[in-house]
This record gives sequence, structure tokens and C-alpha cells, in this order.
Amino acid sequence: MNTELPDIKLIGDELPWLKEYRAAGRREFAGQGIPTAKTEAWKYTKPNRFLSMDFIFNPRGGDKLAIPEVNLPFVAYKIYFENGVFISCDDDLPDNIEVLPLIEALMFRPELKNKTGSLADITKYPFAALNAAYLNEGVYIHVKAGVRPDKPIALINHVTAAVRPELYNLHHIVEIDKGASVELVEYYGYTGAPKSSYLVNVVNEIYVAANAALRHYKLQDEAFKAGHLALNAVNVAANGLYKSFCLQKGADLSRNETQVCLAEEGATAEVDAAYIMNGWATLDTTTDIEHLVPHTNSSQLVKGVIGGQAKGVFQGKIRIASNAVKTEGCQLHKAMLLSDEAEIDVKPELEIFADDVKCSHGAACGRLDADQLFYLRSRGIPEAEAKQILIDAYLNDVMAKVDDENIRSWIKLSQGNPLPA
Amino acid sequence: MNGNKHMTTPLLEIEDLSAGVDGKEIIKDFNLTINPGEVHALMGPNGAGKSTLSNILCGKPGYHVTSGRIWFKGKDLLKLSPEERACEGIFLVMQYPVEIPGVPVTSFLKHSVNAIRKYRGEPELDTMEFIKMVRDEGKKFNLDAEMIKRAVNVGFSGGEKKRLEALQMAVLKPDFAILDEADSGLDIDALKIVADGVNALRDGNRAMLIITHFQRLLEHVVPDFVHIYADGRIVKTGGRELAAELEQTGYAGFMKESR
Repeated sequence: MNTELPDIKLIGDELPWLKEYRAAGRREFAGQGIPTAKTEAWKYTKPNRFLSMDFIFNPRGGDKLAIPEVNLPFVAYKIYFENGVFISCDDDLPDNIEVLPLIEALMFRPELKNKTGSLADITKYPFAALNAAYLNEGVYIHVKAGVRPDKPIALINHVTAAVRPELYNLHHIVEIDKGASVELVEYYGYTGAPKSSYLVNVVNEIYVAANAALRHYKLQDEAFKAGHLALNAVNVAANGLYKSFCLQKGADLSRNETQVCLAEEGATAEVDAAYIMNGWATLDTTTDIEHLVPHTNSSQLVKGVIGGQAKGVFQGKIRIASNAVKTEGCQLHKAMLLSDEAEIDVKPELEIFADDVKCSHGAACGRLDADQLFYLRSRGIPEAEAKQILIDAYLNDVMAKVDDENIRSWIKLSQGNPLPA
Repeated sequence: MNGNKHMTTPLLEIEDLSAGVDGKEIIKDFNLTINPGEVHALMGPNGAGKSTLSNILCGKPGYHVTSGRIWFKGKDLLKLSPEERACEGIFLVMQYPVEIPGVPVTSFLKHSVNAIRKYRGEPELDTMEFIKMVRDEGKKFNLDAEMIKRAVNVGFSGGEKKRLEALQMAVLKPDFAILDEADSGLDIDALKIVADGVNALRDGNRAMLIITHFQRLLEHVVPDFVHIYADGRIVKTGGRELAAELEQTGYAGFMKESR
């Protein structure tokens, strides 16, 4: 992919700050380039192979602009995108939840200027810079103080017709006001077999106010030739909760990166994830939890199942500032390898500048237990089914992190494609 | 003792079997024929390779057969996968049933029952039919309803593990059950429950192979034949009285005899 991005005319260029923000994105992406193995943050996930293709950004990329047929087996306020283009939003949203196409929000809400790019740092993250260069599609979601919606808000991006390598750029800004409590679901999927590779590049900037809670669930089920790069940049205020779970099971190259800043006392982050893959794909889960002040808590449980010649990457960082005493941070990564060629790379990083903190990390890697497998087979259960039973059992505890029962069973069901070893 | 006069096709025929594990030959020119309805006991000292035989019969990976054939219902058993053998009607009561965290007993058993039904071309059971069947069978083994909600064998006592094996056997109704040291780690009550489970399956058609080094279980499940197994082969075959004789003399005498 050429890092010298063309300057494409986009809606909103008439706002000087937005025009400059896009220009800064182009400059940063050209300046930083595509990360290589020498880039520490991308040491194990090497996007250059995948990005050797030239992904074209097309502000109206979809062939047909109709509500895609995506059946989520749970009720939700649904916001649809097709091929990275906003299509529709369910019209039954209550007044105390605002959903606007991002570009509309940026044009009519001057205060959002300060919320754009303030959490996702384009000088550090090349793909946030790429995202900024074509900042155009996405939504602004605003849940007002004290609101507890009766159903989750679902962001759905559906790819239907990738006939050449296209870039689908999405940027969502999510504000959860004081005392509100919301579930946000992200689903990335496709229909048919896209004829070409495509790249989904998502940036979420999420603001959780004091005493608010956001439960953020994501299922990445892109086509096998696709790329998916996501940055979730989150700020949590006093006694706020950001709880996320992401299952990655699709794409050829995928990274779900979550940075949480625990900015005020009592803030909590629970960042859990799972990944399942065989074939040749690389699936990367990267976290960076920053404890800025005392009495903040974080926990992470990440589990993966990798077969074929696929590769799983986990990079988990916990940073505790010098004054952030009485904080707790724990992190655990576990992976199961189903083949000899499968690979797991794990990089835990703890940067602790305070005394009087509780911090832990752990990593374990194993294989399917041969005795368990034989036990199931000796009871008549075919080998593939027996393996799936054991894999499901292995992932049980991390799936249990999804509080919402309907969403949990949806994620569990989608996990159930048998993995040949 | 009229087993030899059966005119039916044997259920299991092991012919000149030599086999082992890790490159070591453990079973040597082993022969055994089991007809429908017969209960055979294979008795031998610890470390003689009795479990190797049961693992080979069930197709556990890692064991190798160097020569010989095994026929089950006229089929070449060694060509079948472990799950196909189970579907054909072989059931192994394991010496050390493995713990499977995260897999509830009910869900495991449902997979098992329906896999076997599917193999045999029978309709799969729905959840209600299945739960009812397991409850009914479970009562016979003093299994409390809570236990079948727990993960397979996780946190089970030795006795509970064997009861669960017996429950599975009752639910799956195999044509041929192999009990591999099924009495180890059982108190007398649990032993009786397992034995009652085995006896309940004896119907003149099903056959069993009881592998043990004690006579204990054989007091509750009376065998038609007793084989003394030493040094990789059967050194003596007799009726139930042979087990009692063995209790008197110990294995040493028979092992000398075999040389």
C-alpha cells in the first residue's frame, strides 16, 4: 500500500480544523509508513505482507445501498454500514440516545472537534493516521446522563462486494454521560465470498463519564482474505466502568487494539478477548491499560485457539503512574495450539512506577489433551466434534465474561465452526 | 460352562495378536474368542499389559499392533476409529476416567448418545427425551441430579467416577463392555452399584471382558470364563473356580507354569 495518500475531496473539508486533521493524517501515515518487524509495537504482527496490495479508498464504495441482510439473534438498536458506508439507523431510538452520522455531528457540533483524535493518537498509531486521512464515515453515539437503554446498540459493518482491494475506514465517537449504562455491540461480517481482499480500519474513541458503564462486545468475522485493524481508545472517569470482550475469528490479518486510560479514582477496565483461527491468518490482541491515579483497577483475560499455520499474538501492557497507589492490574493470556505449525507470540509488559500496587501477569500455552480427546471418542463422538467440545470448554471461562446472556450465546454459536487440526 | 458349544458367530475374536506401546512389545501371540452373552475375566499381575489390551481394543492412539487380527461382529476392528468402535457397540469402563473441565456430564452424554444413534441411522433424541432417560438410569446408580450437571469427572471421588462410567454404560447399552480394573478405588457400596449395573446388562447377548487383578469384582459379577494372563499371553483358562484358585496360589505359580 502506498503511504503517500491522495488528497480526496470529502464532505467537511470546508471546516478548517477537519481539513487540517485529514492533512495531518496523510502526513503522519506517510511519515510513519507501514510498520515492519523493526517496529516494536508490530514486532509479531507484520502488516507489510498483507498491505503489499494497494487498498483504494472510495468514499461511496458500496454497489447497492440498501439495508444489508444481517440477522443478529438478539434485539438491539441497529446501526448499519455496508462496505464502510453508513446506511441506516433504527428509528426507534429513545430521545436520550443520540446517533448521528459522524460527519454530520462534526459539522453541527463544534465541541466534538476536541473529541476527535484526542484519544486515538495519530502521531503514534499509523493506522489511526490512515483513518484520520479519510475521516468521513462512522457515527457519533451519545448516551445522556443516567440513561440505561433497554437493549444494546449494535454497530454492524457488512461487506458485500469487494471486487478490488478497498479500504473501509470507520471512525466512531462514543460518549457515555454520567451514570449511564450501555451495551455496545460491534459486528463485522460479510456475505458470499468477496472476490477480493479488503481492509477494514476502525477507530473508536470512547468516553466513559463518572459512574457510567459501557459494556463493549465485538465479533470480528471478516472474510478470509480480509484485513481488519481496530483501535479502541477509551477514557474512563471516576468510578466508571469500561468492560470489553472481543472475539476475533475471521480475516487474514487482524488486530484489535485497546487502550484504556483510567483517568480518575475508582475507574475500572475489564478487557477480555478470545481468538480462534486456523489456515494462515494472524490474529493480534493488543492492550495498553494506563492507571493514572490511585484506586483504579484493571483485569484482562485473553484466550486463543490456533491451528493450521495460523499465528496468535497477544501484547498486553499495564502502566501504573508513580502516584497511582492502591491500584490493581491483572492479566492472563492462555492459548491452545492445535498443530505443530501454529504459532503464539506473547508479550506482557508491566511498567510500574508506584509502590503499593497489586499487579500480575501470566501466560500459558498448551495443546488439546490427548486423554480427554480419546475419552470423548471412545464414547462414540467423532473426532472433529470431540475437538470442538474441548475447544468450547477451553473458552468457556472467557466467554463467561460476556454479561449479556443473549449476546454471549450469539458469540458462542458463531465460534462453533469446527477447526480441523 | 457350555460357552464353547455356542454355534453363533463370535462377537470378538483376537487372533495371534502382538502389540505394544512406545516400541515395546507387551502382548505376544494373544488369542481370545468371546461369544455373545459370555462374561470373561482376564486376570493378571500389575504391569502385565492388561490395560494395553483394553486400549488396543478401543483404538487408543499411541499403541501399535505388530501382527495379528481382531474381528468384532465380523468386522476388522483395527481398521475402525475409536468412535466407530464405540458406535459398533464397544464400551470401555476406564480405570482412570479423565476429568474434562468445562464440559457438563449431560451435554457430554447427549453428544455421545446422539453420535451413536446417528451412526446407527436412528433419530437423535431431543433434550427432553434425553434428560428423562439419563434421570431414570441415574437413579439406578445413586447418582444425584446435581452430579450430572457438573463437569465430567471434575472433583468426583473415585467412587463417583466409576458410577458415572456405569451410568454411561447403562445409557449407551453396549454389545461388548470392557471393564478395566473397574474395581480399583471403590468402596464396597460403590463396587456393588457398578456390579449391579454390569449384571443388569447381562441379557444373553451382550458380552463383557473384565480385566482385574483381584477376585473382588468377580464375586459380584460371576464370569463364565477366567483367563490367567501373564507375560503377554493367556497361560491358563478355566471357569469361575480358577479365580478362587488364583487367590490361593498367587500369580507366581502360573507364571512359572508358563515358562
